[in-house]
Amino acid sequence: MNPVMTRDHNTIGTAEAPDFTAFRGSIERLPVTLRPSLNQQLAQWETLFPFERNHLVGFLNGIESLSPAALNALTERLRALEVKMDVGHWNFSESSDTLENAGELARSEYYLEWRHEVQKIFEAIDTRTTSNAKSELRRGRLIILFLPENLPIDLNSIGREWGSHGHEIKIAGDSRKLRDLVVMGQPDQPGICELLKERESYNDADLWFIDADSRLTDALARTDFSEASSLSYSDLKPFRDNFLAELNTIPKDMTAADRIILKMRQTDWNRWWPSKIAGQERLRDFVVNLFLSGNGALIFSNAFVEWAASEALRRARPHAIVACFGVRSKPKPFTGIAIFENQEKISPMHDEDDPENSAVDAMILARYIWLAAQRYKEYDGALCLCVSERLNTAYIVAPLEMNLEISDRAVEPKDIYGWITSWMAS
Amino acid sequence: MDACRRRLVKSAAILAVDGLVSSRWRAFGGDPGFTAAKNGPKVIVLTCGGIRRAETFQEGGLENIPRLYRELLPQSIFYPFVRNEGVTSHYNTISSILTGNWQRVDDWGKTPPASPTIFELLRKRMQMPSDDAWLISSNKALSSQIGASSVREFGRRYGANVIFPKQLLINAVVNAATQGRVLHMAERSTMQQEIEAMLESNNYEGLGWSSSGETSTLDEKTHATVLQAIDDLIRTNAPVTGDEFTFLVSVEVMRRFAPSLMVITFSDMEVAHFGSYSMHVSGIRTVDRLAYELWNEIQVNQAYKDKTTLFILPEFGRDLDGSNTNGFFNHRQNDDSTRLAWMMCLGAAAKPAGVIERPIQHIDLCNTIGGIFGVMTANVSGKVLSEIRL
Repeated sequence: MNPVMTRDHNTIGTAEAPDFTAFRGSIERLPVTLRPSLNQQLAQWETLFPFERNHLVGFLNGIESLSPAALNALTERLRALEVKMDVGHWNFSESSDTLENAGELARSEYYLEWRHEVQKIFEAIDTRTTSNAKSELRRGRLIILFLPENLPIDLNSIGREWGSHGHEIKIAGDSRKLRDLVVMGQPDQPGICELLKERESYNDADLWFIDADSRLTDALARTDFSEASSLSYSDLKPFRDNFLAELNTIPKDMTAADRIILKMRQTDWNRWWPSKIAGQERLRDFVVNLFLSGNGALIFSNAFVEWAASEALRRARPHAIVACFGVRSKPKPFTGIAIFENQEKISPMHDEDDPENSAVDAMILARYIWLAAQRYKEYDGALCLCVSERLNTAYIVAPLEMNLEISDRAVEPKDIYGWITSWMAS
Repeated sequence: MDACRRRLVKSAAILAVDGLVSSRWRAFGGDPGFTAAKNGPKVIVLTCGGIRRAETFQEGGLENIPRLYRELLPQSIFYPFVRNEGVTSHYNTISSILTGNWQRVDDWGKTPPASPTIFELLRKRMQMPSDDAWLISSNKALSSQIGASSVREFGRRYGANVIFPKQLLINAVVNAATQGRVLHMAERSTMQQEIEAMLESNNYEGLGWSSSGETSTLDEKTHATVLQAIDDLIRTNAPVTGDEFTFLVSVEVMRRFAPSLMVITFSDMEVAHFGSYSMHVSGIRTVDRLAYELWNEIQVNQAYKDKTTLFILPEFGRDLDGSNTNGFFNHRQNDDSTRLAWMMCLGAAAKPAGVIERPIQHIDLCNTIGGIFGVMTANVSGKVLSEIRL
């Protein structure tokens, strides 16, 4: 008998508390190397996004739906591999993913076989639990990326980056109006916040604003809408500075690094968080995990925008994500060598903007967000716009059913916004 | 890099090597013979961190490597398909290149390679002195353990001198930041004191270096001049590259020690981990320039001219755009984009020039270098590249 929830995993609400004891029992039935990430998610249940909760519950229910013989047959090869890998003699954490775990696995000569087997098991269990995924989950998904006016985008580079995936359109007048329309709407057309909120199952993980500076968050502040996940690299500065200083104490030793990372997760950073995300425990936890996972999110604003958007897509599967890139400073003497250090603290020299190279970075990272979305079935046929405010152009990847008539004629921002709202209402 | 800054970095490099020379002079009992040029073959291996073929030897990438492509490629034996079948981390890859066996040791250099390095094999068989084998690296992921294996019959007594020039500069920056005296960094005398204090409290071992003629401090003159160079460097309003400093130290080692085997590893392009593609490409362009300058140095240095074979190869590529490992940021994906690199071989053992399309592996380099020195290596998985011979 299934000891945990039996509801359709797509409809489990965030308030519902699962039977943790039963869940842990399910995890115990799995090979050792599958346990850390599942145990970690259970331990962090309170800060999981609805999508993650649903997926975890669905997966664990999938395990429970397998008879002991069927589960053994499915995991037999992985268990045999673990013996060959000598996992029993590793200092392997079952409670959470650690650097040491990752290092041991990646160094094993059986690593590729291991990955293959893990993927096979996850796919087999996921197949049992996702066959009833609702098709409407894929509808009306939206990704809007802004390259602001201070990024000198090269006209040719847009086409080079995005290739034949979509079309470039000219925007009539001031393309910055589109940014305001998206966030705030206009008298006769509500903003995307209002449109999404009308949906029955809407929660603040369904809409993300991710900002290198504060273009989006400032516009959002002019509305009375607060039920979105909104992050600004510049607003996070006090937290970033303190977090980076702590991160830089990690020695070149995996065990010690894991210890410090655990400590950093448990540290009370309250005084350093921007007031805009006061009380948003899940969003704060998202940021901590984001910064601990590297990928430059602590160092460069555009890397922050890309990695935060990619992680939001992976973890929350939002209906809409709006991201705005920015300009980074040029590395200063010596800070180019110790790039993981805080430039402002190390050198008293004034920051100098590097718009040209920031534009190169932003162009590539904007496409990376779209590519990240392509990995998930929910974004099959999502509408994606990448807007260059400097060039007054937008690159648009539109689903076929939108039947957009693209021509050489410049399109007014309000008309583009009309396309967006129609798509969202579809 | 402008001429002024280049000169200053060069001064720092020369003086850092001066410190080694004077210490080694004492360690070898003042024997002037230890710096004499050797008459046998010379091999220099120049590796760099992860760069994709898409950013180098593929259409669209050639603009990043004008010197490698136009100046060096026509006179080289070029292998376009070099496969890294091991762990695509820095320490394991360099260890694998050096030992000819895929290594699976701690990624952060906690343990030595598990089989003998080419340094040990050559030094033991050819009775090479310790100053004849060097590894000079920018890469923070390496440690001094990289210079010798854990194999009992070999080990440190046959290992290479391992130095990390960039670490000297990083330590200065980090020390200043962590001590909270950064507000005074604009004052050049204060900055000098910061670095001097750091140097005096960290001997070469503290900097992660391993040198057989080790000493705990630099002489006063070296101190003062290095600090002056670094202080002047701070006053310029542009970044200084760690690979530039590593290159200049390498050239000074060539001029003063003329080692028979030297391995240099660059890492500026690893800024990709922080998500700046423009800075990553800038690192590739720096490798292109420094590889060309290294080749030119070989042509004018009498200890190296006409007897040196130079190998240039990336450790691996980087992940594909759109991968779940975040594309160019990382090098973890099991895909050709990450596993496939290239190798260029120039000089004495690389004639006639040509492109060899047969796939080879990183571990083939160890046995090939052994072959150049006439040393047969047992228990090495890599093959000898038949095109490379004296």
